[in-house]
Amino acid sequence: MENPIMLALPLALGIAALGSGLGLGRAVGGAMEAMGRQPEAIGRIQTAMIIGAAFIEALTIYVFVSMFIFLGGK
Amino acid sequence: MMARIVDAMNNRGGFLERPARLVAAGLLGAALVVGAPLLLADEEPHPEGGHAVPGQAEDPDHPAEIQSGGELGEEHGEEHGGELGEEHDEEHGGTSLHFPTLVRIIADVVEPGGKELHGYADARSPVARFLLRYEDPIYSGLIILLLTVLFAAGARNLQMIPGPFQNFVETLIEGLDTFIRGVIGPQGRQFVPFLGTLGIYIYVMNIFGLIPLMKSPTSILETTAAMAICVFLYVQFSAVRMNGIRGYLHHLAGEPKDAIGWGMVPLMLPLHVIGEFAKPLSLALRLFGNVMGEDLLLVVFAGLGVSILAFTHLPVGFPLHLPFIFLALLTTLIQALVFMLLSTIYIALVMPHHDHGEEHASR
Repeated sequence: MENPIMLALPLALGIAALGSGLGLGRAVGGAMEAMGRQPEAIGRIQTAMIIGAAFIEALTIYVFVSMFIFLGGK
Repeated sequence: MMARIVDAMNNRGGFLERPARLVAAGLLGAALVVGAPLLLADEEPHPEGGHAVPGQAEDPDHPAEIQSGGELGEEHGEEHGGELGEEHDEEHGGTSLHFPTLVRIIADVVEPGGKELHGYADARSPVARFLLRYEDPIYSGLIILLLTVLFAAGARNLQMIPGPFQNFVETLIEGLDTFIRGVIGPQGRQFVPFLGTLGIYIYVMNIFGLIPLMKSPTSILETTAAMAICVFLYVQFSAVRMNGIRGYLHHLAGEPKDAIGWGMVPLMLPLHVIGEFAKPLSLALRLFGNVMGEDLLLVVFAGLGVSILAFTHLPVGFPLHLPFIFLALLTTLIQALVFMLLSTIYIALVMPHHDHGEEHASR
């Protein structure tokens, strides 16, 4: 393989997706539990969950964007 | 008494009412921030002698365009007969596939083959070069004009019993007001124009790309970086204005109160400064990555849908990107909300704390 970066970039993306999947699972799981405990607060918990999910997702997006930056040389 | 207040609001002098003035000022500021880096960038066009022959001959690893025997009518109607040429644009680094957009089509009309060129500098006519170079600011300007006219019309002739459009505008602005004041506290009212405009502007920019023949300006890094820089400067300026220079530096040094605090200043100060710079970076990249990712996803799936039926040589294709349009509607709203919320939180963090032991963000 003459260009190791073509292996490294999808691998990096996969690892980032893995980490963000774990994080999102924990966040949303905690939110579900909280919603089950207190159904009258579902609206506020849902809002906070969506916002938290956007932050966690952003980490994978950073890797995605930097992948394009690294591929820019090609 | 309320009738008198409403009359006073209606009969105020000036072209625009106050909320619309604020919205318009905010949008104009955003327009300056968006347009200024691009206008000031002195990218020289290629010297006149080097009109390179455009096309795939230079780059053997660019695959041929997916022509599929002609034109693809977008699913929104066959009257837009743009070719789904998937163009590999080297300007932004790496492959960035585009749908055909109105500006590119106009540039193609002005100079045939203009939109196929690598970069705008190869276009010969100045009109085409302008159109290709300032494609995204043109869309941003269009959105700004649209929003300004819309909100100015909505804030005119305020009635006691609001009509539907005034109702919508009032609900929107009141919702933003409550939201921002919920995070910052009662002094948040002064920040609502900037942050609210930011939220509305970003949301409309994100949504714009889903309209056929239009492109989201936020799908390029320049737009989101411009807005993040705007927020960064505004936050620092507000911090200095509210805390004073000494308070600002005190805050950056980690608020040292005792000997241990003062001893840690050489550690805390660079840390905080780097953190202050990391915040707009993350804001810009988050929004850019999300919107560009969505657009790329749409283009790739639409191209897939076209190439599946390519054997028929008819201008048809499966609209395989349809579910992703709904996903895009959701994620762009969330990302606009997150951008606005984060900017609000950054401002809330630099507010002066009066009482230690009292938490802000109390509804």
